[in-house]
Amino acid sequence: MRDYEVVYIFKSALGTEDIDARLQRYHEKILGAEGAEITAVEHWGKRQLAYPIDRNDNGYYVVAQFSTEPDELPEYERMLKLDEELLRHLVVISEGELAVPSSMHDDEDESPRRRRDDDDDDDDDDVEDIDDEEDED
Amino acid sequence: MAYRKVCRFCEKSVAKIDYKDAKVLERYLTDRGKILPRRATGNCARHQRQLGTAIKRARYLALVPYIHGYYG
Repeated sequence: MRDYEVVYIFKSALGTEDIDARLQRYHEKILGAEGAEITAVEHWGKRQLAYPIDRNDNGYYVVAQFSTEPDELPEYERMLKLDEELLRHLVVISEGELAVPSSMHDDEDESPRRRRDDDDDDDDDDVEDIDDEEDED
Repeated sequence: MAYRKVCRFCEKSVAKIDYKDAKVLERYLTDRGKILPRRATGNCARHQRQLGTAIKRARYLALVPYIHGYYG
């Protein structure tokens, strides 16, 4: 028995019922093993993709955690690959509790480099430009 | 604070860097989307390795771009 974590990205055009039905169908496959269980399912909802996937600019993200036998996975993943409404999926070994993706070092002090899109105007904010050594030449 | 010499993940005693936390990961990318080198981040070896894996996973999940500002 092992703990896994999976992230699904569905096409955002899909309705909530469709998504729930799919999750149900996927998760049935995992639950074949004795003692297997879904420990958490979290809907992030619609989110803009960092780059278009198959011409989709948005995706509906769902994160789930489950524990099952490794033998259950190949068939499960095969099913995921065949679903064309599922843009992406990633199954990894779980590294702990499902936390809301809240930044660990939120605000407080500034990052190693200036945040990209804080402002793109003339930069006379008091943050030093550390990018200069890296790029541009 | 051009070059930081302490690992920010160690400071916060982060056991595992979360690949789902795009907000944190983005700070370790150049404005083109490359992973910042250790000499710039000041991360310790363990955390820099974890960070690399986390960023690559996040890229696959389109949480973070492979190339920033590229519209092909």
